Amino acid sequence: MGEYGIAPGQRVAIVWDSSSPVEALKDLVDKIQALVGPDNRVSVENINQLSQSAHRESSFDVVLSGVVAGSTAQHSAEVLAEIARILKPGGRVLLKEPVVTESGNNSGIKTAAKLPTALTLSGLVEVKELQKEALTPEEAQSVQEHLGYQGNDLLIVQIEGRKPNFEVGSSSQLKLSFAKRPGPSGKPSVDPATAKLWTLSANDMNDEEMDLLDSDELLDSEDLKKPDPSSLRAPSCKELGKKKACKNCTCGLAEELEQEKRSSQPKSACGNCYLGDAFRCASCPYLGMPAFKPGEKILLKENQLHDA
Amino acid sequence: MVERQLLVLFGSQTGTAEDTAERIGREAKRRHFQCRVEALDSYDVANLINELLVVFVCATTGQGDPPDNMKMFWRFLFRKNLPPGSLCQLDYAVLGLGDSSYPKFNFVAKKLHKRVLQLGGNPLLPVALGDDQHDLGPDAVVDPWLLALWDKILALYPLPPGLEIISRDVRLPPKYTLHYLPEDSPHPDGGLLQPTAPRAVPSELHPFAAHMVSNQRVTAESHFQDVRLIEFDITGSGITFSAGDVVMIQPQNCPEDVQQFCQLLRLDPDRRFVLKPTEPGTSLPALLPQPCTIQHLVTHYLDISCVPRRSFFELLSYFSTNELEREKLQEFSSAQGQEELYSYCNRPRRTTLEALWDFPHTTCAIPPEYLLDLIPRIRPRAFSIASSMLAHPDRIQILMAVVQYKTRLSKPRRGLCSTWLASLSPEQGDVRVPLWVKKGGMKFPADPDTPVIMIGPGTGVAPFRAAIQERVAQGRRGNCLFFGCRQKSKDFYCQAEWEELVRRGFLTLFTAFSRDQEEKVYVQHRIQENRRLVWELLSSGSARVYLAG
Repeated sequence: MGEYGIAPGQRVAIVWDSSSPVEALKDLVDKIQALVGPDNRVSVENINQLSQSAHRESSFDVVLSGVVAGSTAQHSAEVLAEIARILKPGGRVLLKEPVVTESGNNSGIKTAAKLPTALTLSGLVEVKELQKEALTPEEAQSVQEHLGYQGNDLLIVQIEGRKPNFEVGSSSQLKLSFAKRPGPSGKPSVDPATAKLWTLSANDMNDEEMDLLDSDELLDSEDLKKPDPSSLRAPSCKELGKKKACKNCTCGLAEELEQEKRSSQPKSACGNCYLGDAFRCASCPYLGMPAFKPGEKILLKENQLHDA
Repeated sequence: MVERQLLVLFGSQTGTAEDTAERIGREAKRRHFQCRVEALDSYDVANLINELLVVFVCATTGQGDPPDNMKMFWRFLFRKNLPPGSLCQLDYAVLGLGDSSYPKFNFVAKKLHKRVLQLGGNPLLPVALGDDQHDLGPDAVVDPWLLALWDKILALYPLPPGLEIISRDVRLPPKYTLHYLPEDSPHPDGGLLQPTAPRAVPSELHPFAAHMVSNQRVTAESHFQDVRLIEFDITGSGITFSAGDVVMIQPQNCPEDVQQFCQLLRLDPDRRFVLKPTEPGTSLPALLPQPCTIQHLVTHYLDISCVPRRSFFELLSYFSTNELEREKLQEFSSAQGQEELYSYCNRPRRTTLEALWDFPHTTCAIPPEYLLDLIPRIRPRAFSIASSMLAHPDRIQILMAVVQYKTRLSKPRRGLCSTWLASLSPEQGDVRVPLWVKKGGMKFPADPDTPVIMIGPGTGVAPFRAAIQERVAQGRRGNCLFFGCRQKSKDFYCQAEWEELVRRGFLTLFTAFSRDQEEKVYVQHRIQENRRLVWELLSSGSARVYLAG
């Protein structure tokens, strides 16, 4: 595993803002590209353009944001949500952001406590603070320039989070059991009052006056859907015209299929034609007729000699 | 030791869900489960709270409706007073059979799944949605779902130590054993229909043996289609009906087919037999007299003209003495062989009898006791009643087209019921047809002043003939009929009747004869042309509109 825990073949998004020095950004991109290999696996995005780029959801294994040395990028709720969206389930985000240690300021910079919360609120899990560092003089300078903050209680925090392992829209059944103690067979036993009601009702089968539920109400939109027509086709639906020789073909069709020669006329003296349609080959002139006894002379009617 | 019990409950209209339920029953037996397979309305639903493992197999029919043999259960299930935790002991799964070309695709299975969940049941799998629209039919969904189901079930109820799943090579015992009576036993009298004391209103289990009064062809002889107006006498049956109701008719196989079947299987039609269930608790087949003759079984019970299902070929493969035939039969029963099977059977509409003819070495070796496992029973056919009790008391009339069409098979396909009814003639002795009446979907307004707009091309006009007769008898004049057919001179049924009613002011009639002129004219064109009148009826008259065809 390379730096930042990135493995070859992964898709990585690198998010930057105007505070990131260009050279450092370029270095980072090159390094990551070397790690993951060719084929455009690295996407580079400005933090303010991220939402507009509208990357496909769940397409990145790793997102690195604000990690370029000197970056003072701040991650708003919208940006964090977008990062969560484009990450694959189980994917990882690693970001760096300056934070203040004392609350009660109105600079817009998050407190150290607020940052992990912000990630969690965006839907990321396993949020871990990796590192907290004091700023270098250059970084402090950068913060002053870009964020207009003068205080000296800043820290740079490196924090990571993960996208949960399930996709948006997935569902799983809740095991709700209205807690009946299992009977001897290991199953819940029916409450006696319930059983009595059921039995009473069942013994009154002919009562037409009973109130009935509207069964249509049980159905949801999924139930109203029809199957996709392409799913109804058999993989290779061969019609009558397929060529298949009988098991002990004596009429020459088997050879014909092997050598792919066209014979001029199907031979009607085939040894197996007397067996029913189940055994006849596709070119048999007796198709459609019942099986007959061997040696029986069958006169084909005029209309049967023509192709069906 | 935990009991290995599985209950399969089904609701089936045409027999497909029942066939699938039986399949699950067989697979359960192979996994050493004690399995019961029952129709939902035959099951005592009071016991459901005690069940631990149930598979529901339910078709959706009509407009998102449950099949007839689960209608009572359905009404029970949705009662508001059923307590939510009732089915907390139940592990269940729902297999649905439907057709996605309908808007309410598999609604019964979907609703059932959710309702049982609501009542505290624990689903083992999501609901299976078998679809007729799939190239390979419902099995495309059912096959993989069943594999997953067995995994779940065996996880809950592992095979007892030392036991394996019974292999496919081993044949399971039949549902019934067949015991021939000695040859010199006296012959039974009559057939299906015993003239017994009148009982409750006729139903599927107790049809009424109606006498056929008339059987008239109503299309010109030169017309391609043979359509009949058939009248039955229902005096003394206790049957009542109103316009829009449906008559169910139980058909039978033609004598030639019966004879051919008996010859192929080397059965003596005159032999009498009784059936005994193999497993205690299995009920005997309803509608089959005991003792019974082979002739009766093959004529009235076994549906030898139906298109055989996959389970037919699977069972047949066990009897094969011929390697070539057995391999082919096994291929047809495998998941991979379904395309071949559809091409051989379903698409050309090959009958069971024709399939048996193609496998002679196997067919002659079929043990008679497997016949009821192999071949399903003949199902009744529904026809809209085309007459009113007010106009023709003690009579039921139907308008029936004889079904006949060609597929790639050389012999044309024929409808079982329509061909049989068309072959009957009142002059030939005492012809009896088993029938009963079912409520229909259409209800005509009780209010005498509400006008009625009816659109019924072809034989779709049948229920409207009933409605018009009923309303005319009640003096109601607001009757507007749009009728369409091909040619005025060929298939304009009931022409004289309509013209008379128009003369008397009881009927406004619009006709569309599609082939009497160069361009095609259909009922919708006539509706468009007369839109002012239609609008009048709808807006000022609050007319009801009915469509059938």
